[in-house]
This record gives sequence, C-alpha cells and structure tokens, in this order.
Amino acid sequence: MKPKVAFFDFAGCEGDELQVANLEEELLDLLDQVEVVSFREVMKEHSDNYDIAFVEGSCTRLQDEDRLKEIRKNAKYVVAIGSCATIGGINSLKNYQDLDDVRRTVYGDKANLFDTYAARPIDAVIPVDAYVYGCPITREEFLHVVKALLLGKKPDIPNYPVCVECKKNENVCAFERGQFCVGPVTRAGCNSCCVNEGTICWGCRGLVDNPNENSQKEVLIKYGLTVDDAINKFKLYFGWQERKR
Amino acid sequence: MRIISKEDFNKFVNSLIKDDSLNVIGVKAKGNKFAFGQLESAGELRLDYDVTLLPPKKYFFPQRETLVTYNVANGFFAKDPADFKPTILLGVHPYDIVALLHMDEIFRETKSDPYYFEKRKASIIIGVNIQNMSKWCFAPYMGCATVDYGYDLMLTDLGNRYAINVGSQKGEALLEKYAKNVSDALARDIQLVGQKKREIMNMSQQKFNFDTELIPELLSKSYEKSSFWEKHAEACLACGSCVLVCPTCYCFDVKENPDLSLKEGERIRTWDGCLLEDFAKIASGENFRPTRPTRYRHRYFKKGKYLFDRFGFISCVGCGRCSSNCLPDIANPVNLFNDMYNEVTNTGEQVAPVAQPDVSIETEGNINYVPKLATIVKKVPMSYHETLFEIKLDDGSNLNHKPGQFVQVSVFGVGEAPISVSSSPTKKGTFEICVRKIGSLTTKLHTLNKGDKIGIRGPFGNGFDTEFLKGKDILFVAGGLGIAPLRSMLNYVLDKRADYGRVTLLYGCKEPREQLFGDEMAALEKREDVDYKPSVDWCPENELWAGNIGVITTLIPQVNFDPETTYAIVVGPPIMYKFVIADLKKRNVPDDHIIVSLERRMKCGVGKCGHCQINQIYVCKDGPVFNYSKIKGVPEAL
Repeated sequence: MKPKVAFFDFAGCEGDELQVANLEEELLDLLDQVEVVSFREVMKEHSDNYDIAFVEGSCTRLQDEDRLKEIRKNAKYVVAIGSCATIGGINSLKNYQDLDDVRRTVYGDKANLFDTYAARPIDAVIPVDAYVYGCPITREEFLHVVKALLLGKKPDIPNYPVCVECKKNENVCAFERGQFCVGPVTRAGCNSCCVNEGTICWGCRGLVDNPNENSQKEVLIKYGLTVDDAINKFKLYFGWQERKR
Repeated sequence: MRIISKEDFNKFVNSLIKDDSLNVIGVKAKGNKFAFGQLESAGELRLDYDVTLLPPKKYFFPQRETLVTYNVANGFFAKDPADFKPTILLGVHPYDIVALLHMDEIFRETKSDPYYFEKRKASIIIGVNIQNMSKWCFAPYMGCATVDYGYDLMLTDLGNRYAINVGSQKGEALLEKYAKNVSDALARDIQLVGQKKREIMNMSQQKFNFDTELIPELLSKSYEKSSFWEKHAEACLACGSCVLVCPTCYCFDVKENPDLSLKEGERIRTWDGCLLEDFAKIASGENFRPTRPTRYRHRYFKKGKYLFDRFGFISCVGCGRCSSNCLPDIANPVNLFNDMYNEVTNTGEQVAPVAQPDVSIETEGNINYVPKLATIVKKVPMSYHETLFEIKLDDGSNLNHKPGQFVQVSVFGVGEAPISVSSSPTKKGTFEICVRKIGSLTTKLHTLNKGDKIGIRGPFGNGFDTEFLKGKDILFVAGGLGIAPLRSMLNYVLDKRADYGRVTLLYGCKEPREQLFGDEMAALEKREDVDYKPSVDWCPENELWAGNIGVITTLIPQVNFDPETTYAIVVGPPIMYKFVIADLKKRNVPDDHIIVSLERRMKCGVGKCGHCQINQIYVCKDGPVFNYSKIKGVPEAL
C-alpha cells in the first residue's frame, strides 16, 4: 500500500508547496510511490488519515500549536519544509521588535483581536523527523527527502557550508565580486543556486551545526560592511537559531 | 624546441577545436578570474592568466562521478565505459602539471583507480610557462614554477611567437597533424626561454623565511603545540574552501542516488574535505577529529608530513589557491610555515632536513567499486539491537577473508558501510556479520530478511596474523560489539585449537541483555581448554547474572596468564582501549604483545578517500588490526 501524505501550511507564503506542485513529470513518478490525501493548494479533498505530513510555515500564535500537535498525532513522520518551518524563516524578523507594535502595524485598530507570539520553527513545538530547508525548497532536495523516507533511511542533508558547493561549481566568490554573503556559515544543499546566478547567499537554509559566527562577522566587516549591517545579515534568516545559541 | 608564430598557433588551436573527435579545454576568463572550460575558439584562450579558480584535476577526478549503477532485480554494475573523447588541456601552468603527477602516484598506489586513469591516459597536456603570477603563488619555493616533465607540449610566450618544448610522442604527433609552419628553434629562442624561466623564479610575491625542505621536520616538532594550532585556526570557518580548490587534494565521499522508482539508481563519488566538520564522523556519532584546530592541523600534516613520508614529496605545489580562497586569510601555507619556523627556532631548536624516505609505489590491479551480489541466508536476532546475518555470495565463491578483516556491505538505495566479518574463514560457503542497528544502512539492513539481496565488496584490511600467533597464548578482550570481529579469530583459533596455546576470553557488556552469541558463550563456559570470563557493567534487579559485575577492566586482575607468552587481542568501543591497555601493562604485558582493532569511517576501503586516516595511517588499508607498539605514538589512534 502506498504511504499517504498530506500537506499543511502555517505562517508562510506557500511557496514551498508550490515547488511540490510544480514538480511536473516527476510529480507523476512521485504519485506512483505515495498517495496524496490532503494538499490545499492543489486539491479539495482532505483526510486526517496520513502517514507523512509535510508542514510549511512557522508557528506564530499559541493557538497554532494545537493544530501542529494534532498533525503530529496523526502522522508517522513529520517533515518540515521551507525556511519558516525549519528555522523560523523571515517571520522571525518580528521577534526583534515589540510584538504589540507588530500587531498594530498589521491589524491596526483591530490588533486586540489577533494574538501573536515570537515566530518559531515547528520543531520548537513538536518533534520533527526530517527537514527540507530553503526559501523556497528545491525540488531535488524535496524528492531526495521523500525517497529517503520511503527507503527508510536518514536523508543526507549536508552539515557543511554553501562554500563547498560554490567551490565545486567554480563560482567567483561573492566577496571577490564586491558582494557580502553568509554562505560560509549557511547549510549547503541548494547547490549554491543563488551564487551560481551572480547574487549572494542570504542564509535561507539556516546555520550549519557549528558555525563560526564571530569569524564570519569579522570577514563581513573586513570586506567593508558596517558592524550593524553585518549583524543584520544574520537577522534575516538566522534570528531564531541565533537566539537559541 | 620548436617555434610557431602566434597567428599559426591560433590556427593550430582552431583546427583542434574543429576536430570533433577531440575535447578541447583551455583557460578562459570567468568574471575577473579564470577557469578551465570548453574552448569555442582560439580567441577565448587566455594564456596570460594568473591562476584558475579550480585546478585541471576536475577533468580526471570530477566534482561528481558515477562509480556504480544498480537495479534491485539484477545487482550492481560498473559505470558504462565512458564514451569520452581524448581531452586536450591547453594552458596548464607547471605547478598544476606537477600536481597531476602527485595525483597519478596517489591514485595508483596499492590499487589503481580505474575512473581516474581512464580519463588521465586519454588526455593531452599542453602546458604554458607562467606569464603572470598570482600574488598568492609560491610555486618557485616548492620547485614547481617550471617543469621539464609531465607535459606533451610546453609553450613559452616569446612576444610574437611561442617556443614549444615537445614532451612526448603524443605531443609531436599532435603538432604534425594540426599545426602548420612549425620551425626548429634558433639559438636565440633557446636563450630567451631560459631567461623567461629564470624570471619566473623571481616572480613570487610570497616569501618563505627558510628552506621549504625543512617543512616535514618543522611539522614533526609542532604537532603537540596546541596553542599554535588554536591561534591559527581560531577564525577557521570550516568551509573547506582551501581543500576543495587544492590541486593535490583527493579525498572523496560516496553517496547513493536512487531514482524515484526506488528500484534503480547510482552510486556517486563527490569531492570531500578534511576541514569539514563531519569528515571523520562515524555512524555512532563519534567524531575522531571534532575541533577546527585538529582538522586544520591535519590538512598541513597530510600535505607536509604524511604524504611526504609515504611518497617523498611535499604535497603542495605552491599555486596559492588555498590562500586566495580563504576569507579569514588563515590558509596561506607561507604565513603558517614562517610562523612555525619562528616558533620552533625561537626556542633554540635546530631544524635539519630529514632524509628522503624510501619510496616504492606498488600497484596490484584496479580498485573494484562494484559490489558482488549476495544473499542473506539466515538472520538471527542477537540482542534488542543486534542481529547476525549469514551471507552467501551469489557467484558461489568463498569470501576468502582473514580473521579481523571487514567487508563493505551495500543495501540497495541506501549505500555502503564497513562491517567486520564475524565468522572464521574455516567456515566455508557462507560468512557472518553481526550488525548493530545504529545508522541508516544498518537500520535498513535489519528490515531485510532471509532471501533478500545485498552487495558485498572486500574483504578489506589486514586482519589478525594467524601464523605469527601460532603457539602463543591468547587473551581475547572484547567490549560490547567488539566481540563481532573478535569472534572471527576466536572461532579460527578454536577450530585449530592444537595450533595455539592457552585461550582466555574476557567479554564485557553494559548489561546482560546486550550479551551477544549467548549460546556460544554458554558452550565456551563448559570447555576445559578455554578460560571464559564474562562481565556486565551493571545488572538490572529483575535479571539474572552469574558472572562478574563491573567494567571489563575489573576482569583483568582475575585471570592467570604469563605476559611473556601471551598476546592480548583487544577489540571494543574507542573509549575502552586506553583503560584495558593500562591494566594489561600493570600485568606486565609488553606493548608489542597487545593487538587492537580500530574503527573509523571507512568509505572506499582502499586507502584513497581519506576518511579513516589517523595521522599517517589508513585504518582501512594499514589496519584495522594494529600492534599497539606500532600505534602508541600515533596521537589520533587511541
């Protein structure tokens, strides 16, 4: 019997689910292996009977925790997909601000009606079995994780920084091009896709397990960034992880 | 020496490009840097470059390469013979030519790597003498700024013409077939080339404060200076850039890439680097080089000491790529070694060059990356997380292993892992492995059943010296799963009982439910010719245990043996060795009477991929069995 899979979204843009919906031919091969029972972005049907739950988005309200816990209860495997679900994502930028101000900015005079708390990755609420990092996720890595789960093995997610992939791809280092990059502390696995295209690594896959943050900040400053800008580089995606460290 | 005008040289290059049977690679601009790439026309070629981002090794040892394909129905297959064309590399600097010669020796030592050499042998190297030197380059100090060997053709820019040194018949034939208006060099050309080469020797902007032949000895004197390494590695990002761009680095990882059917796939190798955090980490989570300074030190030792001791060359050609790619600027070998020289000589110590080691590189056939198909013929649960698998090779052959050797076990779609053989070679037809459910592969293996197919490569490693041990008393000391490799020797000795002296087995586990081979141990207890002593670290209240309670070392004072005639064979978890060895020494067992078997991350099994390396030793090839007297001075060993 094919494993049943379901997709869920919390605070996020649903861009990761869109990556899955956009798998094209590979989607058909995937559907030979799994049965999708819930996927709001592409189908009306819904079932609570599933084996693997893919969860996009971060948890930004206390009441979302119940829904996450329900998913955890129903699923054999919970897979966090995308930056928001895996590392808190850019939602965590609000954690640097006063949360009442945040509410007023978004909801104006209705602010009192809407609850909020510090944005967090879903593993801050429930245990997570596997992670598909990235903003958005890459289709290749999504398939890699699905295959690993179906084969009963641990997905092979790098614990080395993006520099490894940049070097293999023979990119000119972003710093050599006069840009500022957080690739040296960011978990690889994206095949350095942004730097390949001439831009920088923003850090969407989060920090490696043991980043040398001080050295990276010194490098940013040595190459001409102000201290504040160097700190901001770390806030964009690393907010939740930095606070935990 | 020959001469060709630049105009005719361009025509030569264009006629090479036009020939579809050739793959013409040359140095081209990439942003404000340079890189080797496919040449579309002679106009793209930039022989005035300083250094390329990656060295040309990527054409022989690519970033990603299929080693094996598999399908669940039929087994494992070698990659299809590559349909590659001969590759012409145009514009290789002398230091990169020397680096390729280093790689040649490394890839053919002991066993030859077929994937490297199929491409290497089909290549033609057209070198060029350096016109612009990168500001990081220190090749003149490494003797690699110019070269007289290792190329098919070597170019020197003489303004309106190139001087060409012909280095091989292949080079000669290439000129004959594709170049027009090639003339013999005149005396003035020969003199000019000589002058250019002398200029190159003075081009480096880097400066060594001492003779680089002292490097191996300087390193020997600096291993223990931990504050020196901590200071230099403090800013290390562990990003691996220094090793990934290195022309002589060759460490690799092997990964499984199943397709979506989950029934087929490929096994690939990719570049890896010893600076990366998980490089020496094994499935149980143990990391044998966990800190940045230890990994940073390992890189310099590998280049300047370990490979020197094995091959006689310092494995650095002075290209300066590591220096230029290191953002915190801590990878420059010139800075490190100058500081090391100061550090060592400041204490008044004399540093003299060491003698060249004796080098003999022997090759016994090719590395076989393709596993043999095998069948699980029996699966016996041993404990709550360990299982004994009996395996038969499908081609009907015996494994022909020695006690203490290991095999690489493949599980379709998951990959390969080193597992020691648990049965004695006296058992024919099948062999056994005792496996703990700990990583992906071993967990998956536990879901397989009798009749299921797996892959086997090997046996690998040296194994126990059964001949030498004949007539000796043997004290086996097993901790936990260490009984698995030990059992191959124990059963061998028991099957040839008359050949060996007294046999004692000390076997320690955490608790009774962890004990393996319970029936066999019970049988040992009854034997008169074996002294068997089990122990558990602790026993839960509701379980029965008649043996000793305490860690394994508590058994050592309880047994009688003559240290003069006894050889102790010790196998257990990494933490166990130093305690057991200390207690054996208290009983006057000489160092060379202690034999251990070590566990590391063994990926290739043939001393190439670098993962199992402890200092200068490859565990997969030089071990896993070691005489303690040989490794007690190897700091990373125990």
